[in-house]
Order: sequence, then C-alpha cells, then structure tokens
Amino acid sequence: MNLVRVAALARKEWREIVRDRKLFGLAFVLPAMLMLVFAYGSGQSLEHVPLAVVDHDRTDTSRRFAERFGNTVYFDLAGYVDSEREAAARLARGDVRVVVVVPEEFERRLVAGRSAAIQTWIDGSFSNSTPPRTLQGYVEAITAAATAELQAGAVARRLGVSVERALTLLNPIRVEVRYLYNPQLRTVWSVGPSMLMFILMFVAPLLMALGVVREKESGSILNVHSSTVTRAEFLVGKLLPNVAIGCANTVLLWLLAVGWFGAPFHGSLLLFAAASLLYVIATPGIGLVISLLVDSQTTAMIISVVVATLVGSQYSGMYIPVESLSGPGWLIAHVFPAMYFNDLVQGVFLKGMGAAELWRELCALALFAAAFPGLAWLLFHKRRRA
Amino acid sequence: MTAGVVWGRQVLALTVKELRQLWRDRPLLLYVVYLFTVELVLVAGGTRELSHAPFLVRDADRSAASRELVHDLREPWFTLRGEVRDPGEALRALDHGEVRFFVDIPPTFSRDLGRGDTPATVQLVVDGSRVVSAWLAPSYAGRIADGLSRDQAARNLGRLGVDVAALPTIENRRRTWYNPNLDDAWGNALAELLSMMTVACVLLPAAAAVREKEHGTIEQLLVSPLTPLQVMLSKALSMVFVALLGTGIALHGILRAVYGLPAHGSLTLLLAVTALYAFTNAALGLVLSTFARNTTQVGLLILLTLMPVLQLSGTWSPFEAEPEPLRAVMSLSPLRHLVSVAYGILLRGVGMEVLWPHVAAIAALGTACFGAGLWRFRRQFG
Repeated sequence: MNLVRVAALARKEWREIVRDRKLFGLAFVLPAMLMLVFAYGSGQSLEHVPLAVVDHDRTDTSRRFAERFGNTVYFDLAGYVDSEREAAARLARGDVRVVVVVPEEFERRLVAGRSAAIQTWIDGSFSNSTPPRTLQGYVEAITAAATAELQAGAVARRLGVSVERALTLLNPIRVEVRYLYNPQLRTVWSVGPSMLMFILMFVAPLLMALGVVREKESGSILNVHSSTVTRAEFLVGKLLPNVAIGCANTVLLWLLAVGWFGAPFHGSLLLFAAASLLYVIATPGIGLVISLLVDSQTTAMIISVVVATLVGSQYSGMYIPVESLSGPGWLIAHVFPAMYFNDLVQGVFLKGMGAAELWRELCALALFAAAFPGLAWLLFHKRRRA
Repeated sequence: MTAGVVWGRQVLALTVKELRQLWRDRPLLLYVVYLFTVELVLVAGGTRELSHAPFLVRDADRSAASRELVHDLREPWFTLRGEVRDPGEALRALDHGEVRFFVDIPPTFSRDLGRGDTPATVQLVVDGSRVVSAWLAPSYAGRIADGLSRDQAARNLGRLGVDVAALPTIENRRRTWYNPNLDDAWGNALAELLSMMTVACVLLPAAAAVREKEHGTIEQLLVSPLTPLQVMLSKALSMVFVALLGTGIALHGILRAVYGLPAHGSLTLLLAVTALYAFTNAALGLVLSTFARNTTQVGLLILLTLMPVLQLSGTWSPFEAEPEPLRAVMSLSPLRHLVSVAYGILLRGVGMEVLWPHVAAIAALGTACFGAGLWRFRRQFG
C-alpha cells in the first residue's frame, strides 16, 4: 500500500464531502438531532395520564379518594363526570384514558368496616404507547395505599396502638429497593449512552455507502478502475474521511449525553476512546460492504437504514436483552459490532467498568474493525466479473 | 374533447408512468412490500411489560416463608437464575448485565414475619441502567410480597383478636376497554403500519423526483406540454394508490388475519383518511426533493424530518407525557393526527363526529405542503 496515494485519495474524498455543504452539514446535524429526538421520545415515562372520576357518593371520603389520583405524577384529574354514559363517551373520544367510578354508599360502607368496590375502566387501545397493565398497576397501588391507611386507622383504634405499629401488623413484609448505576431511574442516563451506539450505527454506514454508490452511479468510479490505485488504497482512502467524521460525531454525541442529558461517565475515557475508534472504523466498513453489493443510491440508502434500525434497535440489547433472543436473532446480534459496543458504553458510562472487565468487548470490536473493511476488500473488483 | 379531460388524461398517463417505474425498480418495490408485511410481523411481538426478567437470590433464612416468596417470583414475569451465597457474586452478575435484580432475604425474615413486631425486610438490588425493567420489577415483586403479607397479617391479627375480614377495604374491579385481552400485538402492529406507511409515502415520491433531476429526465417533462402542477400531482397520486394498496394488504392480510385486530368503525372512512394522509406526506416528500440535488441529500433530509415525526407522534411513547411546547410543535406532524384517527376508528369505533379536527388538520397540512412544493418547483424549473 502506497501511503502517499492513500493520503491523496483521502484528501480528494474529504474535499468532495466538504464542498457539498448540505451533505457536510447534515452529517453532523443528523446525529445531534437523532440524539435529542430519541432521548426525548423514548425517555418519556408514563405520566400525566388524563383521568375522569364518576363520583356517585359525593362525600368527603370519596372526594379525598379521587384526589389521591390527581396528587400523583401519574394521573391528571381531568374532572368529575356525572354519569357512566358520559364517562364512556369521553373514553371513546380519547379525552381521558382512565375512568374511576366511585359507588354510592362508599363512605358509609367504609366507616362501617365493610368493603366498597370501585370500578376502573382503562383504555386499552394504545397498548404500545400507553400500556394498560402499567395503568392498572398505578391504580392498584393508589387503591392499596388508601386501603392501608383506612385499615391502619381502624386497627390502631381497636388495639390502642400507634398507626405505625398497626401498619407493620397489617403489612409485615417490607420490600426495600436499592437501584444500582442509575438511582433516580432517569431514562436518558441509560438511553443516552446507548444512543451513541445506535446513531453511529445509523449514520456512518449510510454516509459511507452513499459516498461509494454515488461514484458508481455517476461513473466516476471508472477513473479508479483504470488508474494504478490498488483496491486496498482506494478503500482506505474512502474510509478515512468517514472515520474522521465518525470521531467528530462521537465527541459531539458524548458531549450531548454527558453535558446536556447529564449522563454519568464513571469509567476510563481512554478505554472509551479506543473502543469508539474501533467502532467508527467498523461501522463505515458495513457501509463499504453494502456499497459494493448494490448499484443505486436509493437501494444503498434503504439497505443501510433497514440494517441499522434492525441491528441497532432490535438486536443490540438496547431495548430487548440479547439472551432472550432466539436462533437467528441471537446470531444477528453477534455478527454485528452494535451489541458489543452497547455493552461497552453501558459499562463505561454507568457502571464504571474498566478494560479488565470489558476486554472481550474490546477484542470483538477490534475484530469487526478489521473484518468489515477486509470483507469489502474481498468483494471489490476493478474489473467486473462476467 | 374539452381541455379539462385532456388535462386529466395527461395526469393519469403520468401517474401510470410513475407506478410502472416503481414496478420496474425491483429493490425499491421489494422494500415497499417488506414495509407493509414483514416489518409489521417483526415488531408485533414486542412487549413493554416485564417478561422473563432474570434474577438471583440469596436466601439466608431458608424457611418455608422465604421459599414461598422465591417460588412466587415466577414465569412469565421472572426467571430465577440460581442462588448465591455471597452478595459480591450477585453484584458481579449485575455488572455484566446477566441478571436484572438480586433478592436478598436476611436470616431474620421468618422470625420477624411470625412476630409482626418489626417488619420483615427483603432487599431488592436492581440494575437501574435498564430503566423499564428497573421500574417494573420492584412493582411486580412488591405486589407478590403484598399477597404473602396479607396472609401473614390475617394470622397475626387473628391472634390479637382482630378479624381482617371486618376491616374496611377498597376493592378495585377493573375493566380494560377496547382491548380486553390486553393483546400487545394490536397496538404494536398498528403503530408500525402507520409509521412505515409514513416512511413509504415521503420516501418514494421524493426519491423519484430527485432521480429525475439527477438523470435530467425532468427537463424532458418540462419541455413537454405538461405543467409543474400535473407533474407533482401525478407523483402524489401514484403514492396514494401505493399507500391504499399497501394499507389494504397489511390491514386485511396481516393485522386482521394474523393478529385478529378488530375494526369497530368504518373501514371506508379509514381508507379515505389514509388516501388524504398519503397525499399530504407525498407533498411533504416533494417539498423536500426541491431542496436536494442528489439522492444522498434528499435521503438525509428525509431522515432529518421523519425521525422526530416517527418518534414523537404518540406511536411508541405516550403523547400526553410530552411537555406542552413539544406537543404544540408535534401537532404539525400529520402522523400524530393519523394515530388518533386509526386507533379511534379501528379500536374505539368512533367516526367523523369525533375525529373531524384531526382529519381537518391532515387536510390543512397537505394543502400547505402541496402549495409550498408547487411554489418551489415552479421557481426551480419555471
């Protein structure tokens, strides 16, 4: 490999990218925007769900019970409704997602030490964005807390003990929860680092593949075919500017994750830098391979996007744990670098792990950084095979 | 023949030409078929509930009560990965992401439980980096512990002469409307269909328009006796046709046939709104194509526009939870309105009397996009 020629090719490639102002801008704007959109999009927890109450009892107890729902972050009390029929209409219109019906004699029954049955209706239609089981869980928890308070009061009066003692008697098992790595359960803390994996997987192969296929479409690749430039020199020359863009984007995304979203970074910066470098070589390598298999920009774009979304979101362990995947899914997860890099960034950011624990992931990334460009080298022929 | 008929026939001929081009572009055609079929199946199976969450236990008590607690943490929510002696072992497993949480039962558990003086404490150490399971696992485990708690409380209080059945209790009778069996596939597959249709509707006309620019065939169209309006209209109309066909196949062949998705409202209305929606998005794609010189640029522009639309329109995350300013911006997203329309018609069985504001919004956005596209197009080639 002649390094002077590689440098010349890389310089030419870089100049081409920089001169297409729109493209150059998009190569940096797109990752940053994806980071913001995904962090806000998948960072939403289920809160402020609109809820209506049908109160047939209209007593202090029933009003206090209804207010319990509005006092949480989970529900917004969207008001009282006079009849079940009107409540059903509001549920159908989608104004509210939950209806709580408090029966007549609610207060009287409870004061008499009997049970009172409320009804909760939950809109199950948005089962993917507003999971009905989670809403039921919220309602259960709020109802259980109200019951515990009532019963503790009753037991305390009967036995002449403190309310606290009565609560222990009523609820002898206490579950203490300790959260590791992300004590306040901030979604962006864990989504942010994973987004580094996803966005680089998304943008780098796309830019790389389109860069080569554009030359194929316009025919300028014939210049390379007829020149003395070797296959390896051409591929390395194409790869280098994209690796540079990848590095710049890694820095940009790291700053967004740590600076803007406040994700903790407990591990070694050096390890992270080394792993990222390998990852931004491996990901455009995927793009190179794609570019050699197809002939049109549209096809290259489609394949890059489909591969990136599937591998990056379904088979990387970001949303679905890899160990729960079956046969083909498990295999896909292991032949792309996304899963290894995701484990590594999660370990470095949140868990403060070092090279001693993460060397396997690092080795895998090194392997991919060599394998994908190597595969491209095998696939690239200056002379078309008949 | 009147001028109007000629004009209409020209548009029709151009529309057929667009469809024929798509038909011959096999990779693109394959992608469109994939979007409306395989993609839906791939996504339908996911769940946002807790499922098979792996965990470890240290049972220092080894009593009937502690064994019962561990036994109750069972499939399909939890998967026991074994017992450990040393908490350090569990922490290492948590570090490497092998388990989601660790249950630590102290040696005093059954003693405290029997006496009822001090609470019998169980510690749950949870991997907070997996936020969804970190949130769900303790809440599920807590409910299971509450069940055991209640049995024990009844015994303890009974000894003190208090009958638990005579204590006031608020019972909760719950009912889930519109999806009584809590089938996750309904919402998943429908959300994915709406998202993928959006991708196809924006991408295809934009890519077709830019390819004509790149290859220079747009010049041929413009020297012919065709107006920019006809050229744009034909690209949008061919997309409406593809979207209707794709939605029809996806709805009947996959969503209804495979997943049993109901249609409580009018399917005709849904298809009519789908046609309007496809037109709106095709117009958006054409506007984007006027800002790009080659396919690479338009591809990136589409990603830049569509990603926020796909993520923040209430398909995969609750729209109500978004902050107010973001919600105001997102009302400019046609998908946000289509989500209300499609879920409303299919699952909640409502009609235009409820959905008209959303339909009007899609129409208004479509008119605005088409107008803007026509203006840009005329300026570039006029």
